[in-house]
Amino acid sequence: MENILFNINDQKIICNPGTTILTAATQNGIHIPTLCFHPDLKPYGACRICLVEDKKSGRLMASCVTPAMQEMEILTDTHRVLNHRRNIVRLMMAEHPESCIVCGKGNRCELRKVAAQLGVGEHGLYQMPNYKPYEQINPFITRDLSKCILCGKCIRADHELVAVGAIDYNNRGFRSRPATIHETALENSNCTFCGTCVSLCPTGALAPKYFHHAGTPEREAASICGFCGAGCSLSIGVSGQKIVEVNPSAEQGAVNGATLCVRGHFANDYINSPGRLTHPLIRQKDANSNEALINVSWDVAMETVAARLTEINIKHGPQSLAFIGSSKCSNEENYLFQKIARAVFGTSNVLNGSYASGQMLLSYIEKKTYGTCRIAPLSDLKGAEVIIAVNADADHTVPVAGYHIKRAAKSGSLIVVIDSLRTDLAILAKQWISPLPPLQMEASCADLINVISKIILRSESYDKNFIDSYTDGLERFAECLKALDGNTISQENRIQYQELEKAADSIKGKKIAFVIGPDIMHNPEGIRTVDALLNLGLLTGSIGKKGSGFYIPVSENNLVGALDMGAVPEYLPGRRLISSDDNRKFFENNWQVKLASETGLDMLGFIEGAESGQIKAAYIMGENLIRSLPQPKRVEAALKKIEFIVVQDILNNRLAKQADAILPAACFAEKSGSFTNMEGRIQTFTPVVSPPGEAKADWQILSLLAKKMGYPEQYGTIEKIRQEIRRLVPMYEGLGNHHQDWIKNNDSHNPFTGNECRFVFSCVEPKVNLLPDADYPFTARIGSLRFHLGCGTRTARSERIRLYDNKGEVEISGSDCLKLGLDEGKIIRVKSAYGSIERNFRINLDLPDGLIVIPMAVNSNDVMNLINLEQIRQADQPGAGFCRVRIEKM
Amino acid sequence: MEPEPINWNSISDIIKKHQDEKWGLIPLLQEIQESIGYIPPDSIEQIAQALKLPASHVQGVITFYSGFATEPKGKCVLKVCRGTACHVKGGKSVLNMIKKELNLEEGKTSSDYQFTIETVACLGACFLAPTLMANRDYYGRLSPKKITGILNQYGKLKGDE
Repeated sequence: MENILFNINDQKIICNPGTTILTAATQNGIHIPTLCFHPDLKPYGACRICLVEDKKSGRLMASCVTPAMQEMEILTDTHRVLNHRRNIVRLMMAEHPESCIVCGKGNRCELRKVAAQLGVGEHGLYQMPNYKPYEQINPFITRDLSKCILCGKCIRADHELVAVGAIDYNNRGFRSRPATIHETALENSNCTFCGTCVSLCPTGALAPKYFHHAGTPEREAASICGFCGAGCSLSIGVSGQKIVEVNPSAEQGAVNGATLCVRGHFANDYINSPGRLTHPLIRQKDANSNEALINVSWDVAMETVAARLTEINIKHGPQSLAFIGSSKCSNEENYLFQKIARAVFGTSNVLNGSYASGQMLLSYIEKKTYGTCRIAPLSDLKGAEVIIAVNADADHTVPVAGYHIKRAAKSGSLIVVIDSLRTDLAILAKQWISPLPPLQMEASCADLINVISKIILRSESYDKNFIDSYTDGLERFAECLKALDGNTISQENRIQYQELEKAADSIKGKKIAFVIGPDIMHNPEGIRTVDALLNLGLLTGSIGKKGSGFYIPVSENNLVGALDMGAVPEYLPGRRLISSDDNRKFFENNWQVKLASETGLDMLGFIEGAESGQIKAAYIMGENLIRSLPQPKRVEAALKKIEFIVVQDILNNRLAKQADAILPAACFAEKSGSFTNMEGRIQTFTPVVSPPGEAKADWQILSLLAKKMGYPEQYGTIEKIRQEIRRLVPMYEGLGNHHQDWIKNNDSHNPFTGNECRFVFSCVEPKVNLLPDADYPFTARIGSLRFHLGCGTRTARSERIRLYDNKGEVEISGSDCLKLGLDEGKIIRVKSAYGSIERNFRINLDLPDGLIVIPMAVNSNDVMNLINLEQIRQADQPGAGFCRVRIEKM
Repeated sequence: MEPEPINWNSISDIIKKHQDEKWGLIPLLQEIQESIGYIPPDSIEQIAQALKLPASHVQGVITFYSGFATEPKGKCVLKVCRGTACHVKGGKSVLNMIKKELNLEEGKTSSDYQFTIETVACLGACFLAPTLMANRDYYGRLSPKKITGILNQYGKLKGDE
């Protein structure tokens, strides 16, 4: 189509057809004031501040909703336009309370800004304030709707960006206000407290809640959120040396755009928690020979740590040491960490706490797809033809990923949800298939997916080209499928066979984006389910194309990076298998050391090693093992047996109490580094504030350790570490060159690069026949809540999250509740073979019978008592996600 | 006195009828308004779920249009015209008299759910000024006697007998 040529203030403008006058003006540096406009929201034309005049017709029009037309002559600041704008502002001010002096929005108020620009001081009209009740019971958002100017940004963000729909305009005319259903308080509505509305509100009508005077931010600095795997770009407001506000940054192309979630927006107050570690501490005997943690200087602390570790290394050998890295620490830190462990101490015991909660799945998919699924941009979901979400409650685990999926649904992508839980996504989905919960007899999510594949195969609606060019083993897979009877399988899972036919029909010929819950492998059907999904992906050719592939909403900010940097027993940096001699040689040559030939311990191996006395010393960076691992009492007892424990962490936690040396670390906002998010996007960040007390960034502490150990290479700057990563890890060859970058794939040999390797269809392994367990008849899904991250070490230190007082009630289906004769409001005991917990419960009518949901992270994450520690090792055993329980009345 | 119990079955039927329609919300609401006399607030979530709309949005539509009510109204809804022509002809006195006779405020419903008094900006029947509408019928050139007649006709005295 032809470009549009027109004039603004006699300046020639060229723009694409359909561009609004406002956008065209902004692109050409012409300022038009706005209040209701936001680039991420659909134009709305509510405030009329952006009025401009058409010279030819003399008409006044709102430039945000008027498309530019050929040969228009637009004037943006004639006397008439200014007069109208002034009058609009005057009317808004007449309805606005005169509370600017005490309003927290201060000089960031856009109404005030526009009024000042237009030179409106006093409105000179009859004051008609529209007082509404002030709402501030919830600990996140205060609402003072008397300051609302009805721009509708909050409502549009709620509907268009976050897709929740908690608020909308209510009533009309003078009484019109954004309201929840039945005008209840936010906490009684379906509001998720993502705070997107707060960041967008132009006035002080919506504001973050403070419990003590925080001051308005003096400056704002960019950072990357340190909570979940989304890796949102933040703009952190700082007053003095204190973080007082967090908003989404205005950066173009950020994963989150104008949105955040309740954690990112409101829970970062944990950084100011009194529980932060501020001084290096060493356990020493005092004058009365009582053991105590004594405050020491960094020099003494690192000297002691180096000396004790060396001593144990010499006495018991390097395999008596264990190094536990962290999926919360940066790429640079994890790289340095595993290098010190492997090259300086010569041990192969390098691991991190997130293997069970996602890295296992990532690594499985990596192997099966030859690294072709490393990059999965969430923004591509918008154009996805089909999205199949399996056991993925992204709205709670990685909310920003959840927004992307829901927006895709709204813009026409077909969503099929396979989940026994009725998640927020299931409500929105085109189709929701609800199989029998895992661990229940006959349940097999994997076979349901296989039946879908079978139908697609039978109707020959698969991607023949893709299969011929890139895959092997279809015949074998087809043979396996013959044995599956669709009717029996759907009956066993209590669903209609027609549902599977419908699903197969709606996905045939289309490319699929799979969203898979990171804990999917933790049930006897787990690996079969992932295999079934991979097969379906190959069958439909859903690999290597935009808007298809595998999306894993992982719960930790750098879970992917920790895997890539080799802080796992299985891999050296760059996802290079340690079992391959070539890979080991490569690093031996580069690091000039001999690497240990033994396989490193995994997490369970580490605990068992501690119990048996094999592990004499542990260096634990940023992991609160006693809170995050199953069977915490067993873990605590095991750790007690270790001679020397170094804890390098930001918060004083249960693990730190057992430490022999505590090294206080800096959180994400206090250091430089880079995180890799669930999409495979590498984002660098710089410090916003300085760390509390004497705390140091993890990489600085590690470089001190390397120095004390006499390691010849010095890591004085973050750039030094990055240089080495760029050199040795092709996946990260651009690390640090740009603020935002993507994992590179050019090292991987995959079917697309034209060599001999091909994707291989997996066989359908025989179904694991589950035996009924009369003692533990229920399947408990250990779910995370959006208010907490993972085991909740950090979020539980947030004052706001604590005050929200989420008791983490167990959810039970209505008929199970009747069957058990439970009285609402009473506490129940949930018991597994490994332990029991006591909780309140509530009825969830959407739950299928036999399934209960127990939220993680609350009550010091006591739910871990129910899970068997042994099972974090085997992918296909009930583990992080599901376990069998019974329910007892108290 | 209690308002008539809500016929939830008929609400469900209406929802079912419209749930797959494109732009089905307003026709659906109109039908509920017509058959029940108002839209029970407790039905909003049910409607929203069926149409896959946010409940707040459904509520917003209901409260925007004066044609939808969220409270039960009387059997007879009196709409007194407050337009200019009626005003000149004594529309205000008509309203005052009705308020006094029924002992009821504007916008309110009598406790026996017989009458609701509303005002409208103009009924578009200025030639009949002063006018009012009782349910769907127009009454013009009102006089005190005529008003008493209308009120009696719609059952003002029922309660007294």
